[in-house]
Formats: sequence, structure tokens, C-alpha cells
Amino acid sequence: MEIYLDYNAGAPLRAEARKALAEFLTAEAGNPASVHRSGQRARRALERARAQVAALIDAAPRQLVFTSGGTEANNLAIFGAVKAQNARRKIITSLIEHSSILGPLKSLEAAGFLVRRLAPDGKGRISAKQVLDELDHTTALVTLGLANSETGAIQDLGPLAAPVRQAGALLHIDAAQAAGRMTLSVGRLNCDFMSLSGHKLGALAGIGALYVRDERLLNPLMFGGPQERGVRPGTPNVLGAVSMGAAAETVRSRLSEEINLMSVLTERLRSRLFQSIPGLALNGPLFGRIPNTLNLAFPGARGESLLIALDLEGVRVSMGSACAAGAVEPSHVLIAMGRSAREARSSLRLSLGPQLTLEAIDRAAIIIARVWERVAAAQSAEEEVCG
Amino acid sequence: MMPRVVVAMSGGVDSSVAAALLRENGYDVIGVAMRLTSDDPRASANARQRCCSYEDFEDARRVAERMDFPFYVVDLREEFARSVIDPFVSEYLAGRTPNPCLLCNRWIKFDRLRQRARALGAQYVATGHYARIERAPNGRFRLRRAVDLGKDQSYFLFSLNQEELARTLFPLGTMTKEEVRARARALGLANADKPESQEICFVSEPGGYGDFVDRHADPARIRRGTIVSTDGEVLGLHAGIHRFTVGQRRGLRLSAPAPLYVHEIRPQRAEVVVGARETLGDLGLTARDVSLTDPAQMPAYPATVQVKIRYRHPLIPATLTLLDGDTAAVRFVAEQPAVTPGQACVFYLGDDVLGGGIIEAPIRE
Repeated sequence: MEIYLDYNAGAPLRAEARKALAEFLTAEAGNPASVHRSGQRARRALERARAQVAALIDAAPRQLVFTSGGTEANNLAIFGAVKAQNARRKIITSLIEHSSILGPLKSLEAAGFLVRRLAPDGKGRISAKQVLDELDHTTALVTLGLANSETGAIQDLGPLAAPVRQAGALLHIDAAQAAGRMTLSVGRLNCDFMSLSGHKLGALAGIGALYVRDERLLNPLMFGGPQERGVRPGTPNVLGAVSMGAAAETVRSRLSEEINLMSVLTERLRSRLFQSIPGLALNGPLFGRIPNTLNLAFPGARGESLLIALDLEGVRVSMGSACAAGAVEPSHVLIAMGRSAREARSSLRLSLGPQLTLEAIDRAAIIIARVWERVAAAQSAEEEVCG
Repeated sequence: MMPRVVVAMSGGVDSSVAAALLRENGYDVIGVAMRLTSDDPRASANARQRCCSYEDFEDARRVAERMDFPFYVVDLREEFARSVIDPFVSEYLAGRTPNPCLLCNRWIKFDRLRQRARALGAQYVATGHYARIERAPNGRFRLRRAVDLGKDQSYFLFSLNQEELARTLFPLGTMTKEEVRARARALGLANADKPESQEICFVSEPGGYGDFVDRHADPARIRRGTIVSTDGEVLGLHAGIHRFTVGQRRGLRLSAPAPLYVHEIRPQRAEVVVGARETLGDLGLTARDVSLTDPAQMPAYPATVQVKIRYRHPLIPATLTLLDGDTAAVRFVAEQPAVTPGQACVFYLGDDVLGGGIIEAPIRE
């Protein structure tokens, strides 16, 4: 029996998305840019999807650009923002951002930009004050994730919009992990850019979206045809968009229910694990976390061994970010929070989703506790024998 | 339910066939590749010839997919650096010639990996080594040379004790290399004709282990010194004793009427002693860190045995005497050239491995 606890890495395709895809696939659809009726069918589906995704974040459809995923959305926002900001060379971010934010910034840093990476507190939170202390007239962009993908910590980004705008800087919010787990409103957050990821919402992988308040803030990273108003050329991934639209609409109509369900399941899992594993610790804040994420440090057990042993028993979890060669590096987020490499290597991320059941969670709690016991015992024997 | 076994997979044909055979025989196989170094996965072309690059892990993963068993990569970089690389460098700096594969087998594959295997509920560790483990009628385990004597790797496995042998499987011990390749082809494994890795798995420097030691050693520990003749005459200079091994002929950079060979390395004075081939003969050796496959089954000392004093070396007749603790003295029946401190001396009786130790020094009188 498989128990999937890695929703933050990617959610299974939602039933509504599957249904929307099946319907769309029953008839021919051409290129949305074509004049003929086949193309128009595709175009209609694409625009419908756009409206559905825009509605999820209280945006207007024309403010939304479809991309190949969250990574491309982040790249478009960051490179677009700095180009729009001309002479300003400073960018404010944090140490705990996703690699698709840190990557573009590293590249800009090599080109002479000043990148300030704010350090989180021990619970993985960045304070508004930290940002405002760095904000000045040389700041081009503030780019931050709303909910952290590894700990689930929700960042307090509300107070930032007004001061950022006043300083003449732009605000980009990476909402890839926040979408579907909290309410999102570009109006209330008052940001200039917001990134969304399709497969995290339960759509297909290979689709994402970028909200931009004013399209003059966007600069293309790819060059070609006139699609997406020339900002993101290339025939759109209509299938991906259809799935993302359906997923977004489902999320919007069921958000409170799903948040409630995930809170209950996650809290149940958390409390059972804390009861059965002495010395277990939570990486991240107890309150102020999206309701589905548990990043846990396991005493005396390597996360890698736990992960493999759990996989062999059908429980799917994750640790840090996967490295190309298959072995895992310790999470840069946990290290930034002040965890030692050893603690980071003993941590696992469990992330739940609305498709899970109470039975699955209860079973997972038992398996995780049992696996931890065996791995910790073997590890202490290993340390005794091998040093 | 068949027992669970962790198979150490390098991506090469041997470990792949070992895993496949166990799977075919109904074992609950878990393939594990060990990440031992931090080499950039997108490294240079010459990385392909060594072992355990990213591509090699993918080769192993493909075999696991084909044979339908789980496959994981386990990170042992820190342990490998501490237990294999550091001692490797230290031994060279001390004028000895280490064999890192011995260290890796002893500390990583059959020690650490075994412990990790237990964490995964596996009773056995298996590898693609050419060697045999058999159980004697009295229940004791025997480590024996492989059927394919040209490929036999028992030399590297001499430190396995009874407890370890009881929990280890070598599926290839009764097969020849050709049979293994044929099996790989029959199973449709993509790496059936993959060339074998030849070099030390963690040395990627074009200049070989000499450059590696230069790069990894504390510069204070590398001492230049002199090359001297057996009469004490100074013949030249060298850039560090770690660049030499007993019996070496190349790389001396000396002009002489007849070829010169390294006879001895004197670490305290950073001297490399060279001489003619004829005078390069030893009567025996002393060994330290001696382990025995089955201490209860050893013949009386001095025991008549055969020994191997390096991997690519025939078995030679000798007598073995265990001294105090874990040291031994070995006397060859016929003189042997180039006994090399740091290499292993493995004791055999016919095809059976009796044990072995690390060569401390030659016996010259």
C-alpha cells in the first residue's frame, strides 16, 4: 500500500483536472494562434484556463502569463524586474528561497548585481523588519517565497508592499507552495509579480503561471512569435493550462475544506509521531505554517536511511533537494535556520495533501515510528562498530 | 520469503550481473550505489573510465529497472574520505604503497554498508567480486579463490571474518568473466560490454596518484629528498617519496648504464634507494594488522602456505608464523623481488584464503 507524503514535491493529478483533460482530448484542437476553428477551440480552452487561474489569486486574466512551470515564472519575474528597473542594482531575497529564485540571483550577482540574502530565524521566518532595513533607493526588487517549500513557514509579506513601492522597488512573491494551502489575493498582498506552479496544485507538471501587475514589467527570456503578448513566445501548453485551470477552480471552490482537512491530518500525524518518537523535533514554527508540511528532525537516525527504509515500506517522503547523482545534500533551508549538517541530515520533510485519508495517516504514523526504531538501532550499532 | 540482500552496485557489468542473478534466484534484492566522492557529476571525459560517476549510477539504475528491484544511492563520502582517502594519503607520505581497495572493502563495503543494510532490514550484503564463500561440514565459512583464477579477487577480501562471511554473498565466484558477460547480454543488460574501470576509483588527476597525494596532503608533510644508490651515492633529487614504490623503474629520471629499480624507501630521511634488478630480492616479509579467516582452523606454525604479495602476482610457496598479537612473519621458499610495504600479503592453502596482513617490511637476512 502506498502512502504518498511528498505533496510539496508534486501533487497527484486532481480528478477534476483529469476530467477536464479527458473532455478536451475528445475532439481535435489545433494551435491557439491559428485562425481556423480548430485553433479557436484550443484558444478558448486556454483562455478559460487563464481565467480560472487568475480567479484563484484575485487577478484579471490579462495579468496572467502561462509558463512551463514555477521555475520559468520565477525567472521571468526576476529578470523582467531588474531590466524594468534599469539602473538599480540591489536585490533583496532570503537564504531559504527555492533554487529557481537563488539560481537567477546567482547569475545576476555574477553580472554585478548586489544580492542580499536575509537569514531566517531558528524557525525559518524572515521578518518584515529585516527586509525594510535593507530596502533603499538602490533596490530593484524584493523577491521572497510566501510559504517555504521545506518547512512550510509562512512569511509575513503583507507589510512589505507599501514600503517597497514607496522606495521605487518591485515585489515578487513566489506562491508556488502557498497556493492551495492558504488564501491568495494579489490585491491584498499588493505585489508586482506572483509565481504559481501547476503540479503543486494538482495539475500536470510542465505548466505554471506568472501574475504581473503591469505587463511593461516583463521582458522575454525567449524570443520568437507573438504568443502571450510577445512576453513568452512559443505555442502554449494547452493541455497543461487546461489541467491547471481545472485544478485552480477546484482549489478555489474547496479551499476552506481542504485547509481544514489537511490541518487535521497533519496535526494528527504530528502528535502521533511526537508521542512515539522521543526526541523528535519540528523544523519550523508550530504556528504560522501552511497546514500540510511537517519537517522533522529524527534523533539518532540518518534521513537518507529513513527515506530509503520508508520507501521500501511504501511511504513516500523527502529530504532537502535531490542532487543530480542521486544522493541527497542537506537542506540549505535547514542550514540557514542554524541546524548543524548532522541535524539537517537527520531530517525528513513530510507534506500532505487533500487526497489523503485518516487511515493512511494513522498507518503512516505506525510505519514511520517502527522504521525509525530500526534505523536508529542500526545506526547506533554502526557508530559503535565503525566509529 | 527469501532473504533481503543489499547489493553494492557500481554500474559495472560484474555487480550488475551479481544483482540480477540474486534477483532471478528469488532474493529480495535492493541495489545500492555508494556515492564515495564529491566529484562534479558533470565532470571531465576521463571520469568515464573510472568507477562510480553519475553515468555509472544511471547504468546501475537501468539494471535495477530492467530486473525490477529497488535502487538507491547512499552517501558515504565523509566515511570514505576518513577511512580510505586519508589513510591512502598518509601511507604514501610514509613511504608505503597502500592498496585503497583493501581499505574500501574492509571499512566501507563490508563494514558501513553492512550496517546500512541492517537498517534496511537486509541480512546479507552482496557484491560482484570474483571469490567464493562456502560452508564447511562443520558449519565454518571458507573464503576461496574464484573459479576464474585470472579474475580472482579474493586478495582484496582477506580481512572478512566468520561473522562477516556468514552475511556476505558473492554470486560470481563460480563463473568466468566471459560467462558473466554472456549472462549480462542474455538478460539484456545495457552494460554487458562496458569496459572495466582500471584506475583507482577516486583518482581523477591525469598525473595519477602522485598528483592526487600532492593535492590532498598537508604541504608540510611532503618532503623533497635524494635518490641514492645502494652504496649511498647520491644520484639525483626527487619531489616526494610518495611518488615511488618498491620495484618501480620508470619515473626515476636518472641516466645510468643499466636500468635502475627502487629498492627501498626511507621515509625518515626522505631517501629513495635504487639499484640494479639483480640485487632486488627479499627472503620474506613481516606483516601487521593480520587477520585470519578462521583462527580455529590454522595449522601449526610455522605453517606451509602459499602467499600473494600483490594483486597481480602468482601464489608463491612460503612458511607462515604468527607472532604476538596481530603480526606475522612470512619466509619465501624462493627469493622474491620488490616486497612492498603497505601492500597486502594474503595467505592461501590451495584455493582457501587463510587470512592476510599488511606488509610491514621485507626480510633480507
